Amino acid sequence: MTTANRTETDPPPIQDEEAWVGDLTLAGYAGEVALRRLHEVLLRATRHQVWRLRDLLPGAGPGELEDLAQQAADEALISVLRQLPTFQGRSRFTTWAYKFGILQAGAEVRRHAWRHREITLPDTFVILDDSPSPSQVTEAAQLARAVESAITTALTPHQRRVALALLVNDVPIDVLAERLGTTRNALYKTLHDARTRLRAALLADGYLDTCTYRSST
Amino acid sequence: MTDPISTLSPDTVARLLADTSPYISCDDCFARLDEYAERRARDPHHDDAAMAAHLRGCGACAEEADALLELLHTDAH
Repeated sequence: MTTANRTETDPPPIQDEEAWVGDLTLAGYAGEVALRRLHEVLLRATRHQVWRLRDLLPGAGPGELEDLAQQAADEALISVLRQLPTFQGRSRFTTWAYKFGILQAGAEVRRHAWRHREITLPDTFVILDDSPSPSQVTEAAQLARAVESAITTALTPHQRRVALALLVNDVPIDVLAERLGTTRNALYKTLHDARTRLRAALLADGYLDTCTYRSST
Repeated sequence: MTDPISTLSPDTVARLLADTSPYISCDDCFARLDEYAERRARDPHHDDAAMAAHLRGCGACAEEADALLELLHTDAH
């Protein structure tokens, strides 16, 4: 049998997935087995993600990390079942389910890491000495000064606060969304618009041409 | 408490100026992430301009995409 060497946490074979997904909506024993199997798959994803992000929780031991993974898997199970009618089979069901576990685990870890940290929303730069030093006459330093100026002049106060919090102070986007009572989508749209304005301002001032900056937040 | 802002590092400048067009939202990215990750797992050169732009601009989504891809690779081996 091909599954003889499979462990409990291995993803199920692809040929079983259709029946498995169908069983998830059944009452009785078959439904319970399908749900247990889904929880195992989600736990595989949440453990993976919690372990990847463990450096964000320097004081956490294995027990606390496992608790976080279990908690995230429980929450992800609810999300998957709620979204089950939207599964269209464009990927394996296991892959589709994994992403819910990864999302939930990432959010849990980041929330945990920031739970005692205050988040301020500065909307100005504190520049102690405005005169250029030798290192500041470099091209990179000139660009940085131009970006600082554009942040001050080209962005709305809200765009400025969001961009500085996310990209300068490195506040995670889901943590900031939760603190501000908004959504990750709304913050990302604000950030996208802010970047568009910054790039336009830098282009207008001759600091950018066709150069494309490729990095992540 | 978050740190007061003083100067911008080159990395921060690059993140502020990242070109994130064509725009898709975090929800759009999440909706497409499973299919995108499977295609990337099969072909590391698979390209999706909108997904690539979003993952350039959103650290959380990029981290989740990396995690999913890594998990798929782990499953495959």
